[in-house]
Amino acid sequence: MIKISDEELLDELKRRFEENKKTVSELHRLNSTLTEVNKKLSDAESMKSHFISNISNEMINPFTSILALSKSILEVEKENWKKVTSLVSLIHTEAFNLDFQFKNIFAAAKIEAGEIYPEISKVNIEGVINEVIDSFKYEAKQKKLTVTFKTKTKAKSFYFKTDPEKLKLILSNLLSNAIKFSNENGKIEIENNFVKDKMIVEVRDYGQGISKENHEIILDRFKKLDTGINSINRGHGLGLSVIKATIDLLEGEFEIDSKLENGATFTFSIPESEAVSEGFTIDGNELLFEEEIS
Amino acid sequence: MNNNTITTKVNHFLYPSALFASKEPYLVTTILGSCVAVCFWDKIKKVGGINHYMLPLWNGQGLASPKYGNIAINKLHEKMLQLGSTKENLQAKIFGGGEVIETTVYQYSIGQRNIEIAENTLRELNINIVASSIGGKKGRKILFDTSTGEVRLKFINSSQ
Repeated sequence: MIKISDEELLDELKRRFEENKKTVSELHRLNSTLTEVNKKLSDAESMKSHFISNISNEMINPFTSILALSKSILEVEKENWKKVTSLVSLIHTEAFNLDFQFKNIFAAAKIEAGEIYPEISKVNIEGVINEVIDSFKYEAKQKKLTVTFKTKTKAKSFYFKTDPEKLKLILSNLLSNAIKFSNENGKIEIENNFVKDKMIVEVRDYGQGISKENHEIILDRFKKLDTGINSINRGHGLGLSVIKATIDLLEGEFEIDSKLENGATFTFSIPESEAVSEGFTIDGNELLFEEEIS
Repeated sequence: MNNNTITTKVNHFLYPSALFASKEPYLVTTILGSCVAVCFWDKIKKVGGINHYMLPLWNGQGLASPKYGNIAINKLHEKMLQLGSTKENLQAKIFGGGEVIETTVYQYSIGQRNIEIAENTLRELNINIVASSIGGKKGRKILFDTSTGEVRLKFINSSQ
C-alpha cells in the first residue's frame, strides 16, 4: 500500500472536487440545452397544427373563389362581356397565389427530403430579374406599387453561371414579401451588382419593417409574426426558410436589414458556380475500402 | 472491382445537405471536409444509399433538411427501408469529419461532433459500422458504389 501525506490527500480531494464541479456544470449546461430543445419540440408541434389549419384555408379558399368566379363567367350575358375581364383578373390573382404557394411547399419538401440540386447554366441575370418583376405585375398594380430595377454594373454581359430556377424562387419570394408588406402607393427597389465573382441582389421595400429581435424568428419555417385570425397578410410562413435554404444550396449569403416601421432591405450574394465535374480520376493516391476493413 | 465496371455505371455527384439512395447501380461521388457522409448498404438486396451532412444537430430553426446529421441519418435509414431493406441487413460506413480548420474548443469542432452524431445514431439504430475513415486534418473525396457497397477514398487538401 502506498502511503500518502495529508497534503497529497488534500490535493487529491481538491482535484476530485474540481472535477466534480466541472461535471456538474456540464450537466447543467446539457440540462438547459435539453429544456430548450423540449420547448422547441412543443412549439413545433403547435406550429404544425397551426400550419395544417392555415394551409387548408389557403388551399381551399382560392379554389372556392376560382370555381365561383368561373361559374359567374359562364353565366355572363353576351352584352355584358366587359364584366368578364374583371372576373378573369380575379381568377388570375387567386390562381397566381395558389401556384406560388405550391411552388414554395414543393421546394420546402424537396429541401427537407435532401433531393434538391443546383442545376447550373449560363444565366442572363437581368432577364431573370425582369421576368420575376413581370410575373408580379398584377400583384404590384393592385397595391399601386412601383417596382424599379437597376443594375450597378457596367459590364456588357450579364451572363452568370448559376441555377436560374433557384434564383427565380429566391427572387419571387423576396418580391412577394416586399409587395405583401408594402403600404399602398409605395415603392420597391431591386438592385443588382457584381463584385469579383459574386452577384449581389438587394430587394428594398418601404413598408412596415421588422424589429431586430424578430429577424431570426422570421427565418423559421411556418413562422409568421402576425398570426391573428384577421391577419391581412396571407401565406404560410415558409417563404423565408425556403429562401435561406436555397441560398445555402448555392453557397451564398443572406442578410436582413430592417427596423420596425422603417421598411426592409433583403440582400443576398451568391458566388458564380464552377462547372461541376462528375468524373472521378483514379490514381495511386487512393485507398480501397472493402468489406474486411473495419 | 476493375475499371471497366466503373465506367458502365451511372455517375451521381452528391451535394452537401442532400441524400441519395437507389436500387439501380450508381457511382456516387462527394467531397468532404468537416462534413460527414454515412453510407448504408444492404448486403442481401444489394441496395445502397449515402448522405452528406454539414452540421451535427438541427436546432429547430429553418427547414429540417439533411444538412443536419440527426435528420440526414434517420432520413437515409427511412429511405433504405422504403427501398425494401431491412435493418438487420444494413451495414454502415462513415467518412469525413476532418478538422480542416483547427480549433481547440469542442463546440467549434464541427468535424468531431459530426462523427459523434453518426456513431451515436448508428448505435441507437443498431447498425454496424463496418468501415470508416474519419477525423484527421485532411479533406476527402469518396466514390461509393451503390451496388457493391464499396467505397474508394482519396485524401485532398481543399475543404468543404
